[in-house]
Amino acid sequence: MSNKKQQVSRRQFLNYTLTGVGGFMAAGLLVSPLRMAIDPVLKHSSSGDFVNVGISVDEINDTPQRIDWTVEQVDGWYKSEPSRSAWVYKDENGDVVALSPICTHLGCVVSWEGSDQHPDHFYCPCHNGLYTKDGVNVPGTPPLAPLPVYEQEIRDGILFLGNPIEREGA
Amino acid sequence: MRWHKTDVSQYVEAKEYIDSAVIPLISLDFSLDIEKNAAQNEILEILASQLERELTGRLMLVPSYYYIKTGNREVEISRLNNWVEHIKTQPFRHVFFLTFDSAWKKEEQALQGSLIWLPGIQSGEINSKEMQGMVREQVVQIGELIRSYW
Ligand code: FES
Repeated sequence: MSNKKQQVSRRQFLNYTLTGVGGFMAAGLLVSPLRMAIDPVLKHSSSGDFVNVGISVDEINDTPQRIDWTVEQVDGWYKSEPSRSAWVYKDENGDVVALSPICTHLGCVVSWEGSDQHPDHFYCPCHNGLYTKDGVNVPGTPPLAPLPVYEQEIRDGILFLGNPIEREGA
Repeated sequence: MRWHKTDVSQYVEAKEYIDSAVIPLISLDFSLDIEKNAAQNEILEILASQLERELTGRLMLVPSYYYIKTGNREVEISRLNNWVEHIKTQPFRHVFFLTFDSAWKKEEQALQGSLIWLPGIQSGEINSKEMQGMVREQVVQIGELIRSYW
C-alpha cells in the first residue's frame, strides 16, 4: 500500500510539474502582450497620441504648406516608422487648420494648387480630384468625401497633431 | 497599391482607376561592391515605397525584380518582357521600371516598359535629414515624370 501510494504521488508529482511548466509558459505568452497594452513604460507612442510635428504656429500663414513627420508604430510583425503628412494653414479667423493629404477617392496624396488649371484648390494628380481650401470635395470629381481634419493641440506655440478625423461627403 | 492582400482587394474593386505598374529592378552583387550594392537596394526600396504612397490610387508597386549584376542580360530582358506582358493583360496601360543600374540604359529599346533610371544617390546615413530630403526630392521628380505619361 505504501508502494502504491508512492507511485501515485510520483505520477502526481510529474503531472503537477509538467502542467506547472506548461501553464507557466502559457501564462508567459498571455501576459506579455497584455503587459504591452497596459504598461505605459512599454507602450510605444501609438497613433492615438498627439505628436509634435515640428512647426510653430508663427510659421503657419494663410497659404497651405505641407509638413511631414514620422510616428513609431508596432503593428503585428512590423515595427515601422510610417511617415505622415498634413497641409496646414490659418483660416480667416486665424485658426490653424491641418488637413490630411490623403485623397478620399483612392488614397493618392493631394497638393495645394497642384494643377495650374485649378488655383485655390487641393488637387489630386491621380484622377483629377479637387477640393476647396477647407478640404471639401468638389462635386463632379471622383472623391466623395472631404479631406479628413487632424485633431490638434497647440502647446507653447507649437503644433501637435493627433488622428485624422473623417468628415461627411459634400 | 502594394502587393499586399488589403491593397490588392481594393485594386480588384477599382481596377479601372489603377492603370500603372512600377517594377523596381534591383541588382545583386556579392563581390567587390557588396556594401554599395546593399545600400542602393535599401534606397531604391524606400524610394519605391514613398512613390507608391504618393500615387497609390493609380499605381501598383509590383514586387521587385532581382537579378545578378554580371548575369546574362538577354535572358533578363526576355523574362522582364514576360512580366510586362503578363501584367498588361490585367490591363495596365503603363509599366515602369525603376532602377539605379545604368546598364539598363543601353537596353532601353528592348524593354517593353518605360525605364526610369536614377543616377545613384550618394550612399550616406540612410536616416539622416539630408537623405530624407534627397529621397523626397527624387520622389517628387519621379512622380512628375510618371504623371507626364498619364
Ligand atoms: S485617388 Fe484622388 S482622384 Fe482618384
